[in-house]
Amino acid sequence: MPGTLKLKSEAGGSVVLTANTNAATDLTVNISPVAGTLATLVANTTGPYFAQGGVAGNGPAFSAYGSSATSLTNGGYTKVAFQTKEFDTNSNFDNTTNYRFTPTVAGYYQVNAGVAANFSSGESTIYIYKNGSRFKNGQDNGAVSYQVNISSLIYLNGSSDYIEIYVYQGTGSAINTNTSSQACWFQASMVRSA
Amino acid sequence: MALYEKIIAIYTDLTISDFSPRGTIVIQNDNDGKGDYIKEWNHPTHARPTQEQLDAIN
Repeated sequence: MPGTLKLKSEAGGSVVLTANTNAATDLTVNISPVAGTLATLVANTTGPYFAQGGVAGNGPAFSAYGSSATSLTNGGYTKVAFQTKEFDTNSNFDNTTNYRFTPTVAGYYQVNAGVAANFSSGESTIYIYKNGSRFKNGQDNGAVSYQVNISSLIYLNGSSDYIEIYVYQGTGSAINTNTSSQACWFQASMVRSA
Repeated sequence: MALYEKIIAIYTDLTISDFSPRGTIVIQNDNDGKGDYIKEWNHPTHARPTQEQLDAIN
């Protein structure tokens, strides 16, 4: 029969559950951590007791897009602004000042971004910057593209680490990014806790 | 005039390739209202232009 067992942890924050060794069915444990924190299940003996162990679960995730154009410098690297959030589960994306994602939970994050502009007359490349420096290069397009994309898995320490999106373009003049949720977007989601 | 164009005006032998991802000069704009700036200058023969040189180009 289903039921609810409420446990209160002591100062250390840990609660130990010991399953009945004669149990004939799977044990389901629902955990409701405080918002912005992770619940971690740890098996004390060998065996696939916890399918969820080590998975991010409800870790931070966000998606934002550029609803106003960013002017991309010719012959230079420009940080792209993403002013509108589609979702931001832990309020870790700054969409007003620095346009950066600074998660407050340490872990491994899948990061994706795409920026559209009229790159048709020159080279263009997209980058993920980590803590202010180029960290991952995206596809380097010749004069054939209207869209640059990047995808990468990046560790972020949950405190000081942050990521941003920059674009290089050398078309001969400054050009504006397209402004839509389809064309100019930045996303990240925790896929594994630290 | 953009920073790239000012540098090209000072060193007329430079091309867009010198500023590309394979080049030796990095111009950056952090979208903070402060505009373009030279973040890295590793050109083998040309010295990094001074602010006075850049200001003289209009």
